[in-house]
Amino acid sequence: MSVALEIVDVRKTFGTGVAVERASFAVEANRFVSIVGPSGCGKSTLLRIVAGLVAPTAGRIAVAGRRVDGPITNVGMVFQAPVLLPWRTTLANILFVAEVGGHKASMHRARALELMDLAGLRGFEDALPHQLSGGMQQRVAICRALLLNPPLILMDEPFGALDVMTRERMGFELQKIWWASRNTVLFVTHSISEAVLLSDSVVVMTPRPGRIHEVVEVDLPRPRDASVLTQPRFVELCARVRGGITRFERDVARDEADAHVL
Amino acid sequence: MSSEVDLAIAPDVPSPAPRAAWLGSVRSVGAVAVFLIVWQFGVPLIGIPDYVLPLPTVIAARFVDTFGLQLHHLATTALTTLAGLSIALVVGVLLALAVVYVHALKSIIMPFLAAFNSIPKIAIAPLFVIWFGLGAESKILLAFLLALFPIFVNSLTGLGEIEPDILDLSRLAGGSPYRVFTMVRLMHATPYITDALKVAFPLALVGSIVGEFIGGNRGIGQLVLSAQFNLDTPLVFAALVSITVFTTAGIGLINLFERRFLRWRPSQRTR
Repeated sequence: MSVALEIVDVRKTFGTGVAVERASFAVEANRFVSIVGPSGCGKSTLLRIVAGLVAPTAGRIAVAGRRVDGPITNVGMVFQAPVLLPWRTTLANILFVAEVGGHKASMHRARALELMDLAGLRGFEDALPHQLSGGMQQRVAICRALLLNPPLILMDEPFGALDVMTRERMGFELQKIWWASRNTVLFVTHSISEAVLLSDSVVVMTPRPGRIHEVVEVDLPRPRDASVLTQPRFVELCARVRGGITRFERDVARDEADAHVL
Repeated sequence: MSSEVDLAIAPDVPSPAPRAAWLGSVRSVGAVAVFLIVWQFGVPLIGIPDYVLPLPTVIAARFVDTFGLQLHHLATTALTTLAGLSIALVVGVLLALAVVYVHALKSIIMPFLAAFNSIPKIAIAPLFVIWFGLGAESKILLAFLLALFPIFVNSLTGLGEIEPDILDLSRLAGGSPYRVFTMVRLMHATPYITDALKVAFPLALVGSIVGEFIGGNRGIGQLVLSAQFNLDTPLVFAALVSITVFTTAGIGLINLFERRFLRWRPSQRTR
């Protein structure tokens, strides 16, 4: 299998603070990989480094075998906010990435409509963003990221701003949309169950400095539906991911206690 | 899939409630009518003479008599106002563009503009007459200078303050600076610029009319001045009516543009 993304010894410091410490992992093509960890563990920074929006202090990144040394243009991006252009209709917002990249919108119209169908946005082609609910806006953003069928899609807590119920439904929606094309996805979240539900493997990050603690492989069969949430294997995998994070926190607490004794 | 679809407002719902809009205009017209009636019948009761405050009917009669004259002078004023405003629009947007794209220019252009804006332009208007004479040029220059600042400031905000995520998204999609400018910055700036025009248009008119007060023999400003000289107060008011009609038409045109093309703006949204 080919490697879609390679992260080698990436380190990022801001001033004296270390945001990411020697992160290394590779993502095989057509896999869905999550980075999970508490706030401030540098997972969003790592995602921006992968996109070439932020330069790493040390280490290197390769996407589809090509070294990243600036913003890369063969990547789809979904942010925490939908980031739609308020003057563009739903369809025109999805086509934006094609147009701004210098492609003819008409060439991608059929693909955009197909994605809208898949995302349940049919009939809303001419709606403006403010006429859509938060969940629908984020689905538009996901369609936009998939439009040009990029070899790598980056998602930075895309459901972080949604309410819990919408969020859970969006997880299943995303899985359905992703299953149709199976582009490689790197997905950042702080929800353990969301990460396990969606991913082929989960990268557990710990903060201060942000470092990769372990990688948990998720062997649940796909497609996964709501019944997965109660399966023992799912619960076990969530516990493993959570264990990675809490073990780290216990270590920190013990270190701090030791520091007191000294 | 989706209860969510049901919750969102379908895009093809016709709105705004046309009845509400219609009621609104009835109220506006009614208020003006009441104001004019009080003026017409109230002023004689207090005994204010016509040369101080002429009655609406007297003003209307004078306006009709001098209609050709009004048009003649208004055309001159309109020309210098619109010329000044157009130049201010082009220069203001270009200056803002320069500042947005060449950041170093900000610390060069901004102090000049801020200092210049603090000078009351009207006070230096006589200087422009010395430099450019009594013709249209000095009026256009005044109109331009008064209109420039609000257009520049709003363009700067509209072109410059784009959400960083949108710019990142455009970069990751391979957006060239030109396409990002036309598809993102200019679109984002349009409502800021139309807002600025609503302020700048009456200001440009002030510039033209002050220019006409200072010298020349044409324009609404001159008409007002000569009417005042002859103590023809009804004609002064009739000239004010001309100006008001012109300003209202101009602002109306901008509003029409906004309603037609800026449907996405919060103020233009129909729900």
